[in-house]
Amino acid sequence: MSHAPPAIPSFFTAADRPLFCVYHAPGPDRPDAPIVLHAHSTGFEQLTSCLAEAGFARAAADAGFPALRYHARGHGDSTGDFADVTLDSLVEDALAAAAEARARSGRSRIVWLGVRFGALVAAEAIRRGAPADALALWEPAIDPDRFYRAMLRGVLFFHVSEGRRPAFTVDQMMEAVERDGRVDVLGYYLHRALVRSTRGVNLETLLGGWSGPTLIAQVQARPRLTEAHAALARSLEARGASVSTAVIREEPGWQISSNPAWVGTDLARRTVEWLDALA
Amino acid sequence: MPWRETPAELERARAEQPVLIGSPSGRLCGIYTPAAPDAPRAGVCVVLLTSPRSHRNRMWVEGARRLATLGFSAMRFDLHGTGDSEGETAFRNPNQPYREDLVAVLRHLGAAFGERRFAVSGVCFDARTALSAFEDCADSIVGLLFIAAPLMELETLVQAASERKGWGHLMHALRKPSNWKSMVRPERWRHAGLVLSRMVRRSVPGGNAAELPLSPGFRRDFDALVRSRSRALFLYGREDSEYESFRVAERELFPRLDAATRARLEVEVWPGRIHGCTEMNRQRESFERGVTWLARLHPSVAAAETARR
Repeated sequence: MSHAPPAIPSFFTAADRPLFCVYHAPGPDRPDAPIVLHAHSTGFEQLTSCLAEAGFARAAADAGFPALRYHARGHGDSTGDFADVTLDSLVEDALAAAAEARARSGRSRIVWLGVRFGALVAAEAIRRGAPADALALWEPAIDPDRFYRAMLRGVLFFHVSEGRRPAFTVDQMMEAVERDGRVDVLGYYLHRALVRSTRGVNLETLLGGWSGPTLIAQVQARPRLTEAHAALARSLEARGASVSTAVIREEPGWQISSNPAWVGTDLARRTVEWLDALA
Repeated sequence: MPWRETPAELERARAEQPVLIGSPSGRLCGIYTPAAPDAPRAGVCVVLLTSPRSHRNRMWVEGARRLATLGFSAMRFDLHGTGDSEGETAFRNPNQPYREDLVAVLRHLGAAFGERRFAVSGVCFDARTALSAFEDCADSIVGLLFIAAPLMELETLVQAASERKGWGHLMHALRKPSNWKSMVRPERWRHAGLVLSRMVRRSVPGGNAAELPLSPGFRRDFDALVRSRSRALFLYGREDSEYESFRVAERELFPRLDAATRARLEVEVWPGRIHGCTEMNRQRESFERGVTWLARLHPSVAAAETARR
């Protein structure tokens, strides 16, 4: 049974355009609790993770933490063209959302939640000076190039699962992005503008100045942290950050919708526990 | 080509109103797009069903805003247990559509925005939910866009899928070790038995397999559509597995319709696949077809078509 008021959907303005958001007011009175600001992933992943994000935001609100979820331009119900989305545009929207989150909640402290590609967005927003008390990363994209390539491998696996021989390799599809401006990723485009905007970008580098409390939640079937996640944790700890890790043994299938949809109950519970311990 | 937002569509986005709607399964989150004030009014609100509400590649966002520039109002919303709506998340069985959600939304559109005439649209499960609203709201629905939905109970669909399989398929399956390993599960034996019996009956001279039954729920909802005055477009891909079930409806139900009713219910079967929307060119083609068909529900378009005839 939820103790929080109903989540309120609305629009706010960023760069003179309406962006969609949902504000989750807190249930119990916990005036010192920070607001949780979600930075979603990109493309279809924004849809596959939305139920888990909504579930987590409700759980956080029930525990006394307000939360704001928003759709960046070119995503979901916001305005703008997906073809024009870049890391810079995503960060600009994240910064506007941070201002909106503080205004709505009256809280000055922000905990960022970066989901997959949203980890890069949150990290860059923090690097540019956004207020940040803590950072939660759900299955973070550490290296954008690897992220795109994994996305494209998903296309190949999908074709094989349907008994079709893939017509292109991942390298060929990456070349097509550069040559043609985009490539079809199961009914979404991967656009050149986004790929170019993340050249030379890496999560570890973006977090070079970060030493706040951090949660790294790995969402994969494997039982231990991957070396990439472990290395990220070590690098943050070396800078004095308090790092918690969670291994959520689930496979959401980021590029494909499932029935029933992925709800990420365990992920939400672990993240709320981490939040509670912070406050 | 990817969607490029036009200035007129951006204006419609600026006018959009998020809403929360009470339903028996929890509050539903939706977005209402008012018709452009300078466009000739269609007097029809197009309700776009999907889960989540933007659909793959934001199709329904584009659809809602484009239709609004043409004089339609539009509503897209999350069914319970999906997206931003409340309620329990569960397996969505097309034979148990979320009729109560849609009925709650249609009633809210009437009470809050004065909407009286609707078109409903969906793919797969959402199409079955759109169709299910005719039981309660047939008088107010003027159009149904029904894309690639299965029309049989799930177990029957397995048998329907076997209609595509031949002995070559079977030999190929027998050579795969993973198939033998899976036979430790009783349900795999049942599945293999169903498929094999259909294939044998089809192969024996004079032994045609009996027509597989359509789900009672679909028959009931289809009857309600037939009794209504609504127009409908049924759109399938010939290679959609869901099309096997629609073929039964084409053989059993459509020939029984009188000429006037049959003229209201259009059927299009395209080469290849439509279901899933995972291939961009086909996704755009089927989306464009759907929006164009919905746009024809505008009284001015309908009047022009009548005049031409």
